[in-house]
Amino acid sequence: VPVVITGSAVLTCLGNGESTFAALLRGVTGVGPLRGADASKLSVTHGYHVDDRLGGERFLASRMLTSCLREAITQSALDVASRRVVVIVGTGLRELGAVESGLPMAVQQLHFGSAARAAVPAAAEVLTISNACSAGGHALALAQDLVESGAADAVIAAGTDSMTTSMLAMIGRVTDVPTEQVRPFDADRTGVLLGEGAAAVVIESEPGSARPLARLLSTGLSCDAGHETAPDPAGIRRAALDALDRSGRGAAEVDLVVAHGTGTALNDPVEAGLIGDVLASGGPGPLITAVKGAVGHTSGGSALLNVDVAMRCMAAGMVPPIVGLRRPLDEGAGLRFVTGRPEPAAVRVAQVNAFGFGGVNSVTVLGAPR
Amino acid sequence: VSPQAAVTGWSVLSPASHGTAAHGTAAHGTAGHGEEPLPRPAGHSIGDFDIRRRLGRKGTGFFDRATGLGVIACGQAIEDSGISVGNVPSDRIGVVLGTTVGSLKSTMEFSAETLIQDRPYLVNPGLFPNTVLNCVAGQAAIWYGLKGVNATVAGGPLAMLNVLRYATRVLARGYADVLLAGVVEEFTAHAAWAAHLSGHPPAGEGAAVFVLERPEAARAAGRGVDAELLAVTTGFGRDVNGCVREVIAKAGLDSAEAGPLARAAAERQELLKLESGDCQAASGGLELAALLARQRDGQAADGALSLLTARTREGGCGAAVLRGCSRAGGYHGQRRADVPG
Repeated sequence: VPVVITGSAVLTCLGNGESTFAALLRGVTGVGPLRGADASKLSVTHGYHVDDRLGGERFLASRMLTSCLREAITQSALDVASRRVVVIVGTGLRELGAVESGLPMAVQQLHFGSAARAAVPAAAEVLTISNACSAGGHALALAQDLVESGAADAVIAAGTDSMTTSMLAMIGRVTDVPTEQVRPFDADRTGVLLGEGAAAVVIESEPGSARPLARLLSTGLSCDAGHETAPDPAGIRRAALDALDRSGRGAAEVDLVVAHGTGTALNDPVEAGLIGDVLASGGPGPLITAVKGAVGHTSGGSALLNVDVAMRCMAAGMVPPIVGLRRPLDEGAGLRFVTGRPEPAAVRVAQVNAFGFGGVNSVTVLGAPR
Repeated sequence: VSPQAAVTGWSVLSPASHGTAAHGTAAHGTAGHGEEPLPRPAGHSIGDFDIRRRLGRKGTGFFDRATGLGVIACGQAIEDSGISVGNVPSDRIGVVLGTTVGSLKSTMEFSAETLIQDRPYLVNPGLFPNTVLNCVAGQAAIWYGLKGVNATVAGGPLAMLNVLRYATRVLARGYADVLLAGVVEEFTAHAAWAAHLSGHPPAGEGAAVFVLERPEAARAAGRGVDAELLAVTTGFGRDVNGCVREVIAKAGLDSAEAGPLARAAAERQELLKLESGDCQAASGGLELAALLARQRDGQAADGALSLLTARTREGGCGAAVLRGCSRAGGYHGQRRADVPG
């Protein structure tokens, strides 16, 4: 029984899924001045903030999550009450932002049990998993296991992260000059910036009333067990090959990669090398797009945001350009980065990458609905 | 109903037995606890257990007792299965071990050092790995070069069932081909006092490791099978009898089987506690090993069904049902060489 995605919702600095994708097609970036932290002390001047319609900034990650879960369930028409539904929330920083405010909070508010149950009161289980920037990919992998093994009827895989001062201070320390915009795969990239955001996808073994958005074919996971921050080509290659192997699709069948593309010195050449090596060694290779120039690095939500974008590419027959990319890096020579304007394409198979600090990697393969 | 996993080798280290020998072949002792006072004069510990004599001096300097027990049991189990690392690719062999809190002694001593030592708290960093739960599984993987799935499941008395449940899923989903699935609990003065001061039964110790494979793959590779795991479940806030009914149904067995099997399991658990103390995470593994020893010695019929059950004080519970397999032309009445402590 194929596992399908029947609902998907995202929230970024560019709005919901529909408006985010529309902005991506127009090549718009949502970057702006950093809010809620002292830029001069952090060496970080810019960020990708969500519209403050959610009211107040404390527990932003929780509130974005609740909002995305509600929207994804509505789209899927999932009957939560009569089915065993598990919610898995992937996150990098949990609610550490709320801790940093110094105001009292209960320890369980660090996780997303109550935020998830606000949207899905009848959930059989809510799990928060913390796997850095590939947390959303880990949530997808677990979700597919739970549905395919029959342990759950449906799983909502979600991801959410706001910003924390400690994380901002960390990214400020790794660049010489403050970054003004994320430029994925650009020769002149200057580093990463954080983006507030959340995403949720509904995964079921049998499509409900809603038309499936995509088939969830596979997710390959790996752990480098190497460096704290530097990506290991061998480690991410293992995840990519495992994902392809499980998907039953050949490398040449992949039409699109929605790349991790953080715009950092180390990620982009390694990722470009991986795509060239695994997917483009026997032919022209897939189209490549990436969203972090437009919406920043949404950490826990980033893998699922990329999934949403990949599914919209399948539906629209159109791949948005990489916002921020002007001159591709040398390591990407010969690769088909989408730049400048959207590229029409029939996307049957898409790959989504997410790599996290600590060397935790996830690569997901999606198929277009029949 | 097709079985979820096959046991193709195993080993146990307990106060009552070693390797695959029948129960009651080893001696109790209190060795290894030095001059530390114990709450009672004798402990349910493995007599004359010396890590370095078993594994050599090199690389074992920082091993605590739990690590030594786990690493040795893993080695004996894989040897018993006849699998050689390399014939099965090392990244397809994993380790899944159950525990309660890891090594209580290592954790408490390391914590104490941070309070006792002068600033800047010159604790020995080499001892830190012993304080984390996954120390044993990690060291076993390093010792034998096993690069597959490596997981540690904390479950107290429920640990063996948690491990079986986790392991069957790993096998079913194709994340590994061979798993060393087991449990470890060490006897130390710390564990003895913790049990005593909490009003629990006297502490015991043991390690039991089982080689699990997908049944069809194990038979295709020509390996002997000691038992098949038919079904396993664990839960929280449930009744153990409900877990038993669930696994009996999942295994496609007559519900009338449940009563006698559950009574046999309860009797076995009482006896084990008397003989080996409260082995916490290791208890389910020692129980399974005792069953397999009877099977290997030809005392149990081919196809004999057994039930494992467990509950925790906090409300966790679980059950598993296994079917024993006699090894054709194999080990009937013939014991494998005992390896002395």
